[in-house]
Amino acid sequence: MTAPVAAVGQHPSGTGPPPVAVVGMAVLLPGAPDLAAYWRNLVGGVDAITEVPEGRWDADYYDPGAASGPAAPDRLYCRRGGFVDDYAQVQPTRFGIMPSSVPGTEPDQLIALQVAAAAIADAGGPDRLPDRDRIGVVLGRGGYLTPGLVRLDQRVRSAHQLVRTLGELLPELTSDQLHRVRHAFTDRLGPDRPESAIGLVPNLAASRLANRLDLRGPAYTVDAACASSLVAVDQAVGELASGRCDAVITGGVHHCHDVTLWSVFAQLRALSPSQRIRPFHRDADGILIGEGTGVVVLKRLADAQRDGDRVYAVIRGTGVAGDGRTAALANPDPGGQIRAVRAAWRAAGLDPAAPGALGLLEAHGTATPAGDAAELATLAEVFGPARAGVGVDVGAGAGTGAGDGRAVLGSVKSMIGHTMPAAGVAGLVKAALAVHHGVLLPTLHCDDPHPALAATRFRTVPEARPWEPDPSGSPRRAGVNAFGFGGINAHVVLEQAPDSGRSPAFPAPRPGATATRPPSTAPAPRVAAVTEPERVLRLAADRPDRLAALLAADDSALLAAGLPEHGGPAPRCRLAVVDPTPKRLALARRTVAKGQAWRGRNDVWFAPEPLLGAEPRRSGTGRIAFLFPGLEGEFDPRTDDVADHFGLPRPASTSDTGSSAAQVAQVADIGRHGAGVVAVGRLLDGALRRMGVTPDAVAGHSVGEWTAMIAGGLYSGTSVDSFLTSFDPDALHVPGLTFAALGLSAQRVEEALATLDGMSEVVLSHDNAPQQSIVCGPEPAVVELVRWFRTQGVLGQVLPFRSGFHTPMLAPYLAPIRQAADSFELHRPTVPVWSGTTAAPFPEGEAEVRALFLRHLLEPVRFRPLIEALYAAGFRAFVQVGTGQLASLVSDTLHGRDHLTIAANSPHRDGLAQLRRVAAALWTHGAEPDAGVLAAAPEPGAVPAAAPERVHPSVRLDLGGALVSLDSRTLPALRAELRPAPARAAATGRASALTSLAESFPLAAELDALLRDTEQVAAELVHAELIHAGRRNGAGPALPPAPAWPPVAASATTAAPPPTRAPAATPPATSAPAPAAAPSSAPHGDTLRVSVEAMPYLLDHCFIRQRAGWPDLTDRWPVVPATTIVQHLMDAAERTAPGRVTTAVHGLRFGRWVPAAEPLDVQITLRDAGDGQLVAAFGDFASGTVELAGRHPTPPAPWPVDPAAERAPEHTASTLYQERWMFHGPAFQGLTELTALGESQVRGVITAPSAPGALLDNVGQLLGYWIMATRTERTVVFPVGLSELRLYGPAPRPGTEVHCHIRITALTGDALEADVQLTCGGTVWAEAIGWRDRRFDSHPETRPTERCVERNTLSAPQPGGWSLVHERWPDLATRDLVLRNHLGSAERARYEQQPPRGRRAWLLGRIAAKDAVRQWLWAQGEGPVFPAEIEVLNDPGGRPRVRGVHGRTLPDLDISLAHRSEIAVAIVRPSDAASGVPGGGPSVGPGVGIDIEEVVEREPETIAVALGPAERALLAACRAASDRAASTSEAPDRDRPSTDPAEESEALWFARFWAAKEAVAKAQGTGLQGRPRAFEVVAADPTRLLVAVAGPDGTRTIRLHCTQLSSPPDLPPRRYVVAWTADGTEGTALTDISTADITTADISTSNSERTVAK
Amino acid sequence: MTTTQPTVEPHAPSEQEVLTEITGMLAALLDDCGLDEAEVTMESRFIQDLELESIDLVTLAGQLQARWGEGVNFAEFVAGLELDEIIDLTVGRLVVHVADSLRTAGRS
Repeated sequence: MTAPVAAVGQHPSGTGPPPVAVVGMAVLLPGAPDLAAYWRNLVGGVDAITEVPEGRWDADYYDPGAASGPAAPDRLYCRRGGFVDDYAQVQPTRFGIMPSSVPGTEPDQLIALQVAAAAIADAGGPDRLPDRDRIGVVLGRGGYLTPGLVRLDQRVRSAHQLVRTLGELLPELTSDQLHRVRHAFTDRLGPDRPESAIGLVPNLAASRLANRLDLRGPAYTVDAACASSLVAVDQAVGELASGRCDAVITGGVHHCHDVTLWSVFAQLRALSPSQRIRPFHRDADGILIGEGTGVVVLKRLADAQRDGDRVYAVIRGTGVAGDGRTAALANPDPGGQIRAVRAAWRAAGLDPAAPGALGLLEAHGTATPAGDAAELATLAEVFGPARAGVGVDVGAGAGTGAGDGRAVLGSVKSMIGHTMPAAGVAGLVKAALAVHHGVLLPTLHCDDPHPALAATRFRTVPEARPWEPDPSGSPRRAGVNAFGFGGINAHVVLEQAPDSGRSPAFPAPRPGATATRPPSTAPAPRVAAVTEPERVLRLAADRPDRLAALLAADDSALLAAGLPEHGGPAPRCRLAVVDPTPKRLALARRTVAKGQAWRGRNDVWFAPEPLLGAEPRRSGTGRIAFLFPGLEGEFDPRTDDVADHFGLPRPASTSDTGSSAAQVAQVADIGRHGAGVVAVGRLLDGALRRMGVTPDAVAGHSVGEWTAMIAGGLYSGTSVDSFLTSFDPDALHVPGLTFAALGLSAQRVEEALATLDGMSEVVLSHDNAPQQSIVCGPEPAVVELVRWFRTQGVLGQVLPFRSGFHTPMLAPYLAPIRQAADSFELHRPTVPVWSGTTAAPFPEGEAEVRALFLRHLLEPVRFRPLIEALYAAGFRAFVQVGTGQLASLVSDTLHGRDHLTIAANSPHRDGLAQLRRVAAALWTHGAEPDAGVLAAAPEPGAVPAAAPERVHPSVRLDLGGALVSLDSRTLPALRAELRPAPARAAATGRASALTSLAESFPLAAELDALLRDTEQVAAELVHAELIHAGRRNGAGPALPPAPAWPPVAASATTAAPPPTRAPAATPPATSAPAPAAAPSSAPHGDTLRVSVEAMPYLLDHCFIRQRAGWPDLTDRWPVVPATTIVQHLMDAAERTAPGRVTTAVHGLRFGRWVPAAEPLDVQITLRDAGDGQLVAAFGDFASGTVELAGRHPTPPAPWPVDPAAERAPEHTASTLYQERWMFHGPAFQGLTELTALGESQVRGVITAPSAPGALLDNVGQLLGYWIMATRTERTVVFPVGLSELRLYGPAPRPGTEVHCHIRITALTGDALEADVQLTCGGTVWAEAIGWRDRRFDSHPETRPTERCVERNTLSAPQPGGWSLVHERWPDLATRDLVLRNHLGSAERARYEQQPPRGRRAWLLGRIAAKDAVRQWLWAQGEGPVFPAEIEVLNDPGGRPRVRGVHGRTLPDLDISLAHRSEIAVAIVRPSDAASGVPGGGPSVGPGVGIDIEEVVEREPETIAVALGPAERALLAACRAASDRAASTSEAPDRDRPSTDPAEESEALWFARFWAAKEAVAKAQGTGLQGRPRAFEVVAADPTRLLVAVAGPDGTRTIRLHCTQLSSPPDLPPRRYVVAWTADGTEGTALTDISTADITTADISTSNSERTVAK
Repeated sequence: MTTTQPTVEPHAPSEQEVLTEITGMLAALLDDCGLDEAEVTMESRFIQDLELESIDLVTLAGQLQARWGEGVNFAEFVAGLELDEIIDLTVGRLVVHVADSLRTAGRS
């Protein structure tokens, strides 16, 4: 060591930096809104750690299980820390900041400003500061994602990210819609404030402070991670040493509980998994994050002494050093720490290893194993080991005894968490206070210290104790550590101010009294000028007998033994005597000797054990309530001295020295009296808080409740002020009414009111106490009542008020109050406010608060029940914040129960004297008020010397960074607007604008269908890709597509249930793991193998029936029932918490079928959402929230049955299955009785099946039966969601009869909703609320095929032997069902290969063809044939052919099919070879052909190309013939067009010609091949045509039949012509036509001949 | 032969006796250990010296009635006083009132 080391206590050598005085301090730290509270907490060992408050970060991030296993950035295993929420308030107007700009400003800048102002005030106020050019500001602050930045990021980035993603997922959303979504999001962030963007620049924390306080020296922030504050102090000392500044405001600020910061520490595993921060405990396992701000005002010591400043402590030296590359960035290195600590002591000119070098070391103490170990190594190295020979044997007493010669090691992080850049200043302030007050402060949770502590000279202490003078005579000295990530270390050496007494902040004992210590020699000029206050003697001991022993001394010795009046640590058994006269001391001796509490009579307080403070608080009591008086008969406050002392405005309309008469007059003036009561209450509330007396709840009596609402922060004081001052008291007069107080209970008063004559208009208005009630009523009756009671010996007194407060009689006069009260702005209370109307805390909701405000005016004051309720809630001290009798009402109520009441003001003595009694009373009972602030002279800084300033309104700062939820008021509208395009639109059929257009515009329908197909394709591709990427099973190719359903959207115009039913708790889609996600990343996960092998019961849950023994399982389509999914989710959830049972499942959504034909591994993920809730996902197929509890709740009563609304069902349960109303196989056939059916209900009995989920599946069946039995269309239903399933007991055993009662709650075109109750043996077992089924398209014509497809067809056989099918399944999901019912796996694969646009028609044609074949087979006598048994293929030329599948054999059949729009036709005939037509020759001959054409107008060019001249001539002739027929017929042919016969006729005839040509071309097996004229219509009439076709064997003439069709009413209106080739066996010849219609035949024959002649 | 003596009128208590009893009541009311009996005199003021609250007066009224019955009606007594008189009410004044009431009751 090169620097010379001075002797202990010696001032540094002239070359070192000058000593620097800490002259002002202020903090805002967890649990501590100000310095006084911080001190109390430090002394009392208050643990300010709490769970993360709402709004800081979302509970979704919390996952206690994430502590083990690989770290996930968004899973936080810890949620406890230090928070300042309740105290984060600023008074912006005090600093000339517009309140409206507060929300846009980074909160820590405003906090830094406010705390700095408080520190300056603590240093004596701005007027005591030196020249402003020479005041610097250096603050430690980190570059974290602070709340202001988060909100800016949400506005600038997240809002746009949100709509970009939304737009990508839902391309149909218009830019306007997306714009509205973005706005709804950004609206939640508050208005844009471009002017406050500057507020987000990090150095503003220092610059704004300098700007607003007009400090003109250097102002800057430093970022040295967790060492920032002390590095800032080091800088500040440098500024003072260099002479550039004469004062520096320095410290640190950290208000960032952003989830990203937590994430960083969680990923580093630095957060405590046990959620405790235990610095230097053997088992310390990590930090808890805190927040806070601390600011100190530094001056050179010499200047401070010159200026007469109060000096908390002197900074003797600072040291800063880095680790270099010796350690990893996140790992501490003792080397760097050692150099920093040594540098500071060297700067101080002191030897850290010397005996008595220091008494306290405020350590960095992060409670991480590595951090604690490194720091202890540093301490052992620098300060050396404990020294033998000092005090008791160190080996035996290490860390336990007091006075073992060891210095005390502490870390305030044990109380407030790690406040990061502010950690150093939190420790510095703590150490300075300890040095200043001479108290060694405790460190919490260190009962079993780190073993390395023994090698140091330090110990920790569990509770505060006096800092005994060091035997060597060295001053109290402390060191403070702060070590930052990345290897930046700082240390500060603090020392007791020179010449300071024990507590220089407080006045010397008054002359005459024997002081406890030698009088301070420090200059105290202010004290002398002021009248000395009364002496308060304080004594304390461990036990009453020891206290009694203390009291045995004579009076003068007793007075000398008193503890400092300002409080401080003291044993638990305490006595206080104000103005300790011999008489009072005698009383005190008697009292203590009896060992019973004494509470204030004769100004003596004694408590054998604490009623307040940390000890009783641990058992849930020890709370302090502030009670604000209302109007009382006497109002004689003594508050002027209080106001003047604290620099607060004197309450208007109160005066300390009014005459009695004046008081009475004033009391009668309710408005003025009320304003005075409120003003006095507020003043005293402020004074009490300055004394460090803070309530755990506030309440009031009558009007006092308004004061309580102000004091609790519920109302702003200014708004109530303006109300009270502008209020016309006359408006409150209820003529003729008066009050009277009666000395007996409310119960007895009410009995009397009920029984005495003439009292009908008198009501109880106050239930004050067991022995006091107040009544109100017409004056004569009230007077008579008082008189009557008096005859009974009951005290009674008519009161001088004339109003109807707290009675219904005020109601007609309420308007002005109601109006004003509705205009009061409500805030979230900072302290719970209790209501005297409900005897409970105020409700949360704004409307409820306002309603209760009015109730309070109309209902009796229930003060006695209020006090009972407060007592029950653990309140033991009741401070009457005002004058009056309230405290005696409390005592009367709590008579015989341990409690303390104390009035904060009394007419009998001046205000400060009474407050001194409050401090004495509370201290005696275990609290730690700071009576020092009551010292006769205003403490430097306690009050600005300036004239009382206007009270500035406080604005609470938003420190949150929670995820944004849209405004619940705008959300429904936005949701409704976006609902037509549901979340899963990428793979759904949707109710798009096109769909609604489609009915009117065929093109739109086509386009819509195309779009749907495109989406489906896209979705399938994505799905297949995901499956491939996820390697989820060995099934090879992508699974058959499973339809996805949109959430059921109940139309807003129907009687749909209210939106509250919607499962709002449904987790956001982003939180559900993607199917491809690695299972290991899931918080809890089970992999479920879905297959019919693993779940054989699924063979009884196949949607499609096939022939017995059908080999292809995919054609049967086994699917996991939704209710089985629910069962698996519940089972998985219960496995995570053995012994707990599922009591409810919320927000269930079933997104997609879960196909089981091919084995599939489904990931079940469970995420703990707290409170026993597990957010569960079944792959990406379904999701919901499972709620677990220790036991099932009590079941509700079974629903009543209304027989009048029911009838006996037409069916029996067994027929449901026999007749295939249900597709379910035996394992799922549980319905055994259909009990009753009604318009909105159905009841039945389920015999519980054994398959998982089958019981609830039967609920769905019964619901399905209801819709089938009561509706004709859209009767196919499948569950898509369930709002809530509540379980009241274990699942019924298989075979149990379960009664199922279903109430239909909503039925729309798309959705069926119901509530269900399941009862076993008369006890409700389960309720399903908001069961939602999606209604699939089904049509009466399709119903038979749904039930029995092997015997029914969708197509109808037509005269002429062809089949016709209309598409009745416009939506994709239903199409999928139809497709699976008709196509085998190979055909489904070909369907997938079709271009999307052609799929619908392709499928329709396949169905028509299969139906034609099946109908033909049935005509031949064949039995049941499933569609999948017939495969329709195309030969290489495109010609369709059919073959049997899986054992089905077919004869050789010729088939032809055609489709247009929503219609398809098909015709089948045995092949020529098989038909055995004689002379048929080789099979190359024409087969069968059919075509269908829509009747539409064609362009002349089309006709010119399609028809040759002869055909056109024939067409014209046919038209002419038709016209002639029409004109000669009165009754037009029903097939004829109803409009313009000529136009229609050409279109119709062209359709006939073209269909005929096509049909022939198909029959030829060639198609038209672009040569339409090669197939020439040579003769035609409305039902028959002849087509000539030239072939290698010459021209052949083919005969066709023809007919017209119209669409059925429920499909788009179209007209068609169908033409098909005549059966060769038919006997009609060409000549039949020609002879039948000469005119036409002539033409056609001639044309034909001519054509043939070619 | 003995004859039955006529019932002797119970003698109305003296003011000193009433004071003693009321002092006892006050001691009970004020948690006896604090109240040095010597402290209660005829001149002691209920509110300013003994620091009784109005509720305490209710309790005291109940005890007076319990001890001496309907004849002593503290409520009526207080009702006849002005506010200032109540504030300055002394133990002595109550004692006199009680003693007077009992004498009156005894004559009736």
